[in-house]
Amino acid sequence: MMSRVNDPELTKQRLHEVVEEMYDRIVKGEPPTMTLPVRTKNNIGFDKKFGVFKYGKKRSTRDATSLGSAKNLLRALHVVEFIEEMIEAGKSSTLREMYYISESWGLGKFSSQNESNNLAEDLEVVTTCLREDFKLRPEEDGSRIIGNVTLNELNRRGQWMRINARDDVGDSGYGVPYNVESEKIELVEHDIKFLMAIETGGMFDRLIENGFDEAYDCALIHLKGQPARSTRRIMKRMNEEWDVPVVVFLDGDPWSFRIFASIAYGAIKTAHISEYLATPSASYLGITSDDIIAYDLPSDDLSKKDIEALNAELSDPRFADGWWQNQINMMLEIGKKAEQQSLAKYGLDFVTDTYLPEKLGEMGLV
Amino acid sequence: MAGIADKMASNQKQIAISEFFEKNKHFLGFDTLQRSIITAVKEGVDNALDACEEARILPDIRVKINKIDSKKDIIELITEDNGPGIPQKSIEKVFGQLLFGSRFHAIRQSRGQQGIGITGVVMYSQLTTGKPTHILSKVASDATAVSVNIGLDTRKNKAIKSDQDRIIWENDDHTFKEHGVRVTSRMKAKYQRGRQSVFQYLRMTSIVNPHADIIFTDPDGEVHHWPRVTERLPGKVDAIKPHPHGIELGQLQRMCKESKDSRMTVFLRSNFSGVSMRAAKELCEASELAVTAKPKSLKPDQIRALLESFQGERMINNKAIKLLSPPTNCLSPIEEMLIKKGLSKTIDSKFIATMTRAPNVSHGNPFQVEVGLIFGEGMAADKPVEILRFANRVPLMYQQGGCLLTKAVESVDWRQYGLDQPGGRGVPKGPAAVLVHLASTNVQFTSEAKEALSDNEIVFEETRKAMLEMGRGLRKHLEKKKKMAKTREKFELINDILPAIAAKSASILNRPVPALAGSITKIMSAVICEEETVWNTETKLTDVEIILFNYTSRARSYSLLVNWPEKEGAEITANERGGRKEAMGIWAWKIETLDPGEQARVTYSLSGLEKGDWNETEVFFRGNQDVIGATKLDEKMLEEIRRQEEILGDSEIPAGEEEMNGFEPGVVEGQPGQTTLFGGEQ
Repeated sequence: MMSRVNDPELTKQRLHEVVEEMYDRIVKGEPPTMTLPVRTKNNIGFDKKFGVFKYGKKRSTRDATSLGSAKNLLRALHVVEFIEEMIEAGKSSTLREMYYISESWGLGKFSSQNESNNLAEDLEVVTTCLREDFKLRPEEDGSRIIGNVTLNELNRRGQWMRINARDDVGDSGYGVPYNVESEKIELVEHDIKFLMAIETGGMFDRLIENGFDEAYDCALIHLKGQPARSTRRIMKRMNEEWDVPVVVFLDGDPWSFRIFASIAYGAIKTAHISEYLATPSASYLGITSDDIIAYDLPSDDLSKKDIEALNAELSDPRFADGWWQNQINMMLEIGKKAEQQSLAKYGLDFVTDTYLPEKLGEMGLV
Repeated sequence: MAGIADKMASNQKQIAISEFFEKNKHFLGFDTLQRSIITAVKEGVDNALDACEEARILPDIRVKINKIDSKKDIIELITEDNGPGIPQKSIEKVFGQLLFGSRFHAIRQSRGQQGIGITGVVMYSQLTTGKPTHILSKVASDATAVSVNIGLDTRKNKAIKSDQDRIIWENDDHTFKEHGVRVTSRMKAKYQRGRQSVFQYLRMTSIVNPHADIIFTDPDGEVHHWPRVTERLPGKVDAIKPHPHGIELGQLQRMCKESKDSRMTVFLRSNFSGVSMRAAKELCEASELAVTAKPKSLKPDQIRALLESFQGERMINNKAIKLLSPPTNCLSPIEEMLIKKGLSKTIDSKFIATMTRAPNVSHGNPFQVEVGLIFGEGMAADKPVEILRFANRVPLMYQQGGCLLTKAVESVDWRQYGLDQPGGRGVPKGPAAVLVHLASTNVQFTSEAKEALSDNEIVFEETRKAMLEMGRGLRKHLEKKKKMAKTREKFELINDILPAIAAKSASILNRPVPALAGSITKIMSAVICEEETVWNTETKLTDVEIILFNYTSRARSYSLLVNWPEKEGAEITANERGGRKEAMGIWAWKIETLDPGEQARVTYSLSGLEKGDWNETEVFFRGNQDVIGATKLDEKMLEEIRRQEEILGDSEIPAGEEEMNGFEPGVVEGQPGQTTLFGGEQ
């Protein structure tokens, strides 16, 4: 199991190393630089120790020879200073708040929030710290969980609250907070055979209405498209700490394949912390390319962008295994994609009565 | 020749003139209510400008349109000038007779080649409202002005005067008007806005007449003012004799018939331009005429033979007879500096390129093409560029598509010069306006409407060449702008961002702020030139500052060169570094050693210019290391400038004395690379 030490001094020291790199270059009479791993699919490789994909050895240097990258370095320095101040004052801020605070940074001010988000990620990558260490929160909230799992959550008053995600919640389920580390969330107990991640809210609600979680002893988690870090992190913790299998139920299109890769193998953007976020044992339930044919699902033609994405996936190391190559090639061949909810073609109960039991049966989960 | 006008006028007397007018109103410019008002303004303003130019007066022109009866579309038009005025005895002739005017038979560039003149306005007013036109005219030598109503007896082509009086003419501020004319007419017409409007006509007129001050009060009472931007009047143009290449049979017959010359050689030498003594003899020989023949007694066959010799159809030793090209001092180009001023007066924008080609000749008619291009933020970026067409300083507002000048604009691939142009043909798109001016003694139109120039290969090529040259100017400007933006970024980097990085990193690490010199050299790793040309409102001089920074690790040495408007009469002052004149309009300084991290500064002022005349100085350099912000000197360009300079120096000899080589009938090749006014090559 992964564990993380939250050590403010270590965080500060790592951040200072970034600053030192710039300072030392100036002293040597060179343009200041910031060196960071290349963050593209060409620089991710399989890490045998963790069973996930992580950044490789390729480094890129951001040096102050153009105005844009020089400004970026200056912003990084302001962010470092800001983080140190927060650590010392015991405060935290959202990434959006930091964007607004940067208004007073003069030349180092951000021109868009995207810039501040990317820079926070850059610093994570360089320092191998987490943004939680930096006291920076994302704006995005986590997802919803329904099922017979019990958690302890530290509430605003500093008290631990015991919550069962079937009995203590309404129809919208248990809302996953942005921080799901052990200082905030404890996994207490469960009575489930597996955890099912679902891409769309419509399908999530369909399964709840049909009582699927109770009928099949499982917990359901709504991904809301590309899942937030906390969503991926809590799935990983349940998988590791409770040893429950994770199955992923998505649309059948190239973008869903990417969502699955980020859950199971690690996302390219966050490959520096794949070992915290990825669940290597997760399995893809559907919609698969052969489902589209086997169940004769209503489908749409692949768009030009879809085809580009599929071709990119063919050379993505995360999809290098035979099963995925097959699925991708088959989708390219039939030129079709299908949504989860296209299963409704056979009635509202088809998904819970027929499709899911059949697929779970193939996986040996029912 | 003085009799031609009278003769033509008397020929036309036979038909009722009102009938003639009614039948031909489309080409007289009175075919629609919208166009009639533009034509009326045009006749008045053209007259005023021509009169002022002849009398060497800086024109103040006032145009006012009042609504009289909106339902019946009756308006009142008042045009007023400060010209020399018209003597009382000439008023009837000027306003009451078709085809009167000194310019009709003179061969020179004049505005009034178009339309039938102000008489048309008098006639149109009378036909549509029954009202006479009121004239107020004062000449400087009279104490009072003449006030008179002019109507027309359309049967006799004669004016009918009424209510004639002499009055004291006061200006609005109660001073006495010294001289000028005011014309007030009532007519049926419709005022409109847009591309074809009185407003646009006056705006365009003000562009090509930067010496005029024009105020227009529209029917809604809104006042538009186009101020005078130069005190310089257009050059005085001389009338020239016809050139053999431009003559037609009828004209030649008439000339022979009216000639009192005793022999052919005298006739040819004194009535035509471009005929030397040798050429006169050769023309006679080729036409099988005795040099002593009396022109008046030539037979039709002989006249035809003479014409054939003129046109190169009859030759001597298989060669057409060499003629001199006609003199070009009969042309009055606007000239580049004034085009700039005219354009920037009406369009608010930063960059203007202009190009005045040297005069050329087509079919015996001297002509000259001028173009201007204004580019920048003030204009719509996604619309076709505005094309401002002019012939002899008169705006052409209709039939844009069928005009030679438009075709020349369309024939250029503007994409390579930084404008949008789908398919590389047609009117380009972008935030720009293009001005094209043809000055010529004989402007050829596609039709009597006189709104579009007819095709002429030589004029087309000249116009196209001018466009290409101007396009290169635009591209250079855009490239420079891009480079300057990059340079500015680099300066921001080393002046602001880098010190901030040093200070911030030092404060986070709690260490001393490091020195930056080394990093700066590595970041810039270039020699950079900054140029600033600004108008100094206090000294009324154009101040130029050039700074050369050496951000490389080695000492450098350069020659810096700049362009400056020497031809336009500017002078360099307060030039502390001295330097020397390299060529016409090019000054040079030597920068001996520029150590790493050092900068050299050149400052000087230009006198003899007005605000807006000179906004950008081009900097060139000689030296090994490239300089950002300056152009490596093209020695060929310098040679070309020097060559032009020599030619200019030689052109003290009156134009027209040089024999032309390689002359083909009807085609005169311009010298390549003409870049100056009156290059004198011909």
